[in-house]
Amino acid sequence: MVQINFALKEVNCKVVYYGPGLSGKTTNLEVVHVKAPQGSVGDLTSIATEGDRTLFFDFLPLNLGQVAGMKTKFQIYTVPGQVYYNSTRKLVLQGADGVVFVADSKKGKMAENLESLENLAENLREYGMSPETTQIVLQYNKRDLPEIYTVEEMNQALNKWNCPTYEAVARDGHGVFPTLKHLAGMVLESLNRQHGGGSVVSRRPAPAPAAVAAGGGMAVGYAQSAPTAVATHAPRAAMASAPQHQVPMRARGQAVPIQGGVRVARPAIQVPPRKKKSNGMRWVVFGGLVLLAGAGAYLHFTGKLRELLAG
Amino acid sequence: MVSDSDHLRQKRVVFYKEDVEKINEVLNEFLKLSDSKCNILIDKEGHMVTKAGTTAGIDLQSVSALVAGSYAATREMARLLGEDEFSVLFHQGRKDSIQLTLVGDRTILATVFDERTTIGMVRLYAKEASEKLEEIFKGIKNRPPREGGDDLGKDFGDSAKGALDFFFVD
Repeated sequence: MVQINFALKEVNCKVVYYGPGLSGKTTNLEVVHVKAPQGSVGDLTSIATEGDRTLFFDFLPLNLGQVAGMKTKFQIYTVPGQVYYNSTRKLVLQGADGVVFVADSKKGKMAENLESLENLAENLREYGMSPETTQIVLQYNKRDLPEIYTVEEMNQALNKWNCPTYEAVARDGHGVFPTLKHLAGMVLESLNRQHGGGSVVSRRPAPAPAAVAAGGGMAVGYAQSAPTAVATHAPRAAMASAPQHQVPMRARGQAVPIQGGVRVARPAIQVPPRKKKSNGMRWVVFGGLVLLAGAGAYLHFTGKLRELLAG
Repeated sequence: MVSDSDHLRQKRVVFYKEDVEKINEVLNEFLKLSDSKCNILIDKEGHMVTKAGTTAGIDLQSVSALVAGSYAATREMARLLGEDEFSVLFHQGRKDSIQLTLVGDRTILATVFDERTTIGMVRLYAKEASEKLEEIFKGIKNRPPREGGDDLGKDFGDSAKGALDFFFVD
């Protein structure tokens, strides 16, 4: 929940990146960490496994600056995407003011996307929130891969709550800022509706077909970052030819000592793909052990083991 | 029927200057009595409410988020063990230690202290401070909303738009 602190002249909001494992949530945060204006973001804190998978959450404090005399801050979290970590994922979601759902566009990943989206709805409902009215932006990530679902297919499968959607290639920095900018706008607009009374910041599009809503369903001032649901999609060719985002790379695992512990600053962008552990070798070892046990049992019960041992 | 927007407004936490002054008074008294280094009051979403004592060199935003996360994880653990909540948590360091005390149902008091005092002293006075703070929070919770008292100003929307455009230059 947004905290308004008139004593500190602060507004604090919480944003959570949700989505299936390896869809690019942490990468989004790493890009924001590097691309944000200097001094406006704090350290990126990760509670990750040794294999660099998010265990509890990644956290990035972002200071938007003065908004109508109030220091406006966003606390950005990612959840662990792996199905196994639902209890921690649910804890991170608590009190979220907005959610970016990062979906994997790669062919064959739709089932995981759907499972995670369903899990988001379920967890929101457990906190008494409705996915239909929660501020959610969908990000279709990995648009640079060769075999991907079309935006229409993604929309049809995932966008049942008529959320704004963005295409992204998070590891190159594409689409990361427009996604977060839109969500931040929606969160502040919700706040503005209840505590402000002035002009519109950003708005969730009205539930209308994309073709009808195009150009008219969005709030003022967002022509450049209009969501794909209501505007023409940026063609992949154009995206590929756009200048690559140049940022200094930080060493993976570089430790920044802080009082009482170690914070690991994770690398920014151009992250080498995190390897999925293969189960092949495990099956080979397991199969070998089963064969050995079987042979041992056969020799034992047929008495041949004793003969062999006796010479 | 309560609309979604009213529901959100009711759940939203608004702290006025006079609330924080009262809270600060309790925190400063606790700081003196317990001889702790600093006290940070954090809501369960991980936002800092206020602080007392020496916090130089502490990244308050990150500490607040981690305290809230740590507390949330412990609460879940308590639930699995059949407890409602563990009301006090303690992490011991070589020099500095931290105690987390639950205040009411949505805030956590984080007390950082070193060898100048003892865990017993901190625990004793934290209990007292927590009860006083709980009274203040009850008052905040039960108070009727002020007419226009929590307005962020008519130019909040315009100002937010400007800040977002300035920040998110792609």
